[in-house]
Amino acid sequence: MRSCQHLFEDQKVNQSVISLKGVKKAYSGHLAVADLSLEIPRGSVFGLLGPNGAGKTTTLRMIMNVIGPDQGTIDILGRPADQAARDRIGYMPEERGLYPRMVVEEQLVFLAEIKGVARAEALRRLGPWLERLGLAEWRKRKLNELSKGMQQKAQFVATLLHDPEILIMDEPMSGLDPVGTNVLRDVLLELKRQGKTLVLSSHQMETVERLCDSIALINRGQKLLDGLVSEVKSRYGKNAVVLAFDGDGGFLSTLPGIAKVTDFGRYVEVRMDDGADPQAILREAAGRLRLSRFEIVEPSLHDIFVEAVTAHGQELDAQEGS
Amino acid sequence: MIAMRVATVARREYLERVRSKAFLVSTILGPVIMAAFTLGPALLMKRQRGKPLRLSVLDASGHLYQDVERALSLRKEAGQGRFVLKPPPAGDFQVAEAGLKDQVLKGDLDGYVLLPQDALERSVVEYYGKNVSNVMDIRLLNDAVEEAFVVRRLSAEGLAPDKIGHLTKKLDLKTSRLTERGAREDRGGLFFLSMILLTMLYTTLAMWGAALMNGVLEEKNNRVVEVMVSSIPPIQLFAGKLLGVGGAGLTQFAVWAGSLGLFAAYGASATAASGLAMPEVNPLVLVALVVYFLLGYFLYGSMYMALGASVNTQQEAQSLAFPVMMPLLLGFVFSFTVLASPDSPLSVTLSLIPFFTPLLMFMRITTVTPPAWQIAASIAIMALTIAAMTWLAARIYRVGILMYGKRPTFPEIMRWVRRA
Repeated sequence: MRSCQHLFEDQKVNQSVISLKGVKKAYSGHLAVADLSLEIPRGSVFGLLGPNGAGKTTTLRMIMNVIGPDQGTIDILGRPADQAARDRIGYMPEERGLYPRMVVEEQLVFLAEIKGVARAEALRRLGPWLERLGLAEWRKRKLNELSKGMQQKAQFVATLLHDPEILIMDEPMSGLDPVGTNVLRDVLLELKRQGKTLVLSSHQMETVERLCDSIALINRGQKLLDGLVSEVKSRYGKNAVVLAFDGDGGFLSTLPGIAKVTDFGRYVEVRMDDGADPQAILREAAGRLRLSRFEIVEPSLHDIFVEAVTAHGQELDAQEGS
Repeated sequence: MIAMRVATVARREYLERVRSKAFLVSTILGPVIMAAFTLGPALLMKRQRGKPLRLSVLDASGHLYQDVERALSLRKEAGQGRFVLKPPPAGDFQVAEAGLKDQVLKGDLDGYVLLPQDALERSVVEYYGKNVSNVMDIRLLNDAVEEAFVVRRLSAEGLAPDKIGHLTKKLDLKTSRLTERGAREDRGGLFFLSMILLTMLYTTLAMWGAALMNGVLEEKNNRVVEVMVSSIPPIQLFAGKLLGVGGAGLTQFAVWAGSLGLFAAYGASATAASGLAMPEVNPLVLVALVVYFLLGYFLYGSMYMALGASVNTQQEAQSLAFPVMMPLLLGFVFSFTVLASPDSPLSVTLSLIPFFTPLLMFMRITTVTPPAWQIAASIAIMALTIAAMTWLAARIYRVGILMYGKRPTFPEIMRWVRRA
C-alpha cells in the first residue's frame, strides 16, 4: 500500500525533485540570475557549478524562498514551492550561522522544531548525529566555545536533523579540514544511498567530480551546460591525455593537433584537436622527456569548466563591445 | 501549524532572556532599588536617631546655661531623650573649651554647644561636633535652644512661663490626599512613588526595546537569519520574537508589581513608625503598571525591531535611533508637566497621544485617577496604533533582515514597506 503510494508520487513528480523554469533575479540593475531553467533529478547528487558571482547562491536562496524571483516558477517535489515543501529540504547557506551564545543541543533541537519536528523526536535523533560527527562531548556547551570546524559540523547537523528528503548545501566543503571533509563526504554518500537528493554548489571542481552524478554549470547568471557528468564529459570527447615527466615540457603546446595544455604541477593535461592521434604525441614526448605517466583520459570537469566559462565570458564581452 | 512555529520562536526568545544574568540582576535589583529609595532614608535615620547625642553646654554669658540645659534634656523623640548632657569641665572658659575639644576628638563626647556672651541679644549660638551633617539632630538642637531663648525673652516681658509653651506652639501642616475612597495622609511619598514607577517604566521600555533591536541585529550579523527565514516566514519570526521577549518583560513586571504589592502591605507598617508614611498602593496602579508596560512594549518594541533590521551595526543603529527614542523621551519630559496638574486639558490630551500614553496615562493613574472612559480610550487608541505599527515594522523587518551593506535612508525604508 505504502509503496504503491510512493510509486504514484514518483510518477507525479516526474523524477525531478526541484524544477526551475525561466527564473530571473536582478539586484538594483545588476542581473544576478537570467532566465535560468534547471531540473534536479530525484536521488541524484547534483552539482551547481560556476565561478564566484555566477549566481549560485542567489539561485539556492530563491529555491529556499530567502529571496523571491522576479520572474519564473520554482517547483519542489512536483508542486509550486511552499513552506510545507521547503520543510522537506535541509539548507546549509553559504554564510554559516547559528546562535553563538546558545547551547549546541538546544540550538539544534530548536532549528529542527521550526522545521516542524516534535521536540522529543528531535532530541532522540540528535544523539546519534552528534556521536557520528564527534560532537557528543560538546552537546551542552555554548556554540561560541566550539572551534570553527566544530561549528561547521554543528551547522551540518542543523541541516540534517529534520530528516529532509533534499539537502541543499552552498559550498559544503569550504572551511573544513581534510578529516572533516572526509567525514562529510561519507555522510553525504550514505544519504545518497538512502535515496535522498543532494544539491551542492561549488567552485571547487575536484570535490564535485568525486561526488556528483549530475551538474549544471552557470556563469554570469546563465546556464552554460548541464546533464549527467558522464554525458557532459563525453560531449567534450575522449580526447585528452595526461602526461607526467621530468624535464621541460614547454614544447608540448607547439606540437601539431594540440588544442590546449593545462599544467597541474605534478602532471599536465593536454587537450587535442578532434581527430588528432594520441600516439603521435606519445612518440614525440617519449623522445624528448623522461615520461613517468601517459594516459588517455576524459577531460576533467575543471578543464571543461575553465574552457566553457572563458569562452562564455569572451562571447559576452564581444556582445557588449559591439 | 503556524502558531506552533511562532510559539517555538517565542519560547526560545523567552528562555534565552529569562536565563540571562542581566535579567536576573535587573529583576531582583528593581524592587531592591525601589525599597532602598523609599524605605532606606527612613530606616537609616531611624537607626541614627536610635542613639542619643552626648553633649555639653559651655556658657560664656553666665546666665543661659540652666535654661538651655533644661530645654535640651526635655527634648524627646519617640519617647526617648535625644540628648544626654554632661557637665563641662571646671576651670575658666579657655581651659574648659580646650577640655571639651579634647573630649570630642577622643570620642567621649559627640559635640558641645557654645553660648557666646551676647547669645540672647544676637540670637547666635555655636555648635562644635565631630559630625555636623546629622540634619535631624541639628534641627532638634536648634529648636531646643531657640525655645529656651524664646521662653527667656517672653518671661522677661512678663509672661507666665506655663503660658509660653501654649502660646508659641509650632504649626504642623498635615497634607492629605483626597480620593473617592477617603482621605489619607500623604507627606510626599506618593510623588516619589509616581516618579520611581515612571522612571522604571521609561527605562524598561528603552531597555527591552534595545534588547529586541540587538537580538535582531545579532541574528542578522551571525547570518542565522538565513537559516531561520528558510524555515519560517519572516512575519512569523517577527511575531515570535516580539512575543517571546515581551513574555520575559512581562515576567519581570509581574515580579516587580508583586513585590511592590507585598512591599506596600508589609512595608507600610515599618515606615509608619519612622514618620515617613508609605503612600497607599492602589491595586489599580499595579494592574496599570503591567498593562501600560505591555502596551508600550508592543509599540516601541516593534519600532526597535524595524530599526534593528534596517541597520548592520550598533553604531548605525544609534544614528537611526532618534525617531524611535524621541517619542519615549518626550513622554518622560512631559511627565513633569502632567505631574504638576494631572487633570488639566493639556495633561489629558498628552496622555491620549499613543506614543506618550504608556508613561503619561500611567502617571495620571498613580496621582489623580482619571475617569474610566479616558483609561479605556487610551487603551483603545494604543491597540489601534500597535496594530498599525506592527504591520509597518513587520514589513520593514521582512526586507531589512536580508539586506546587507550600506545603511538605508528613510525613503529607501519606505520603499521596502511598499515592496514587501
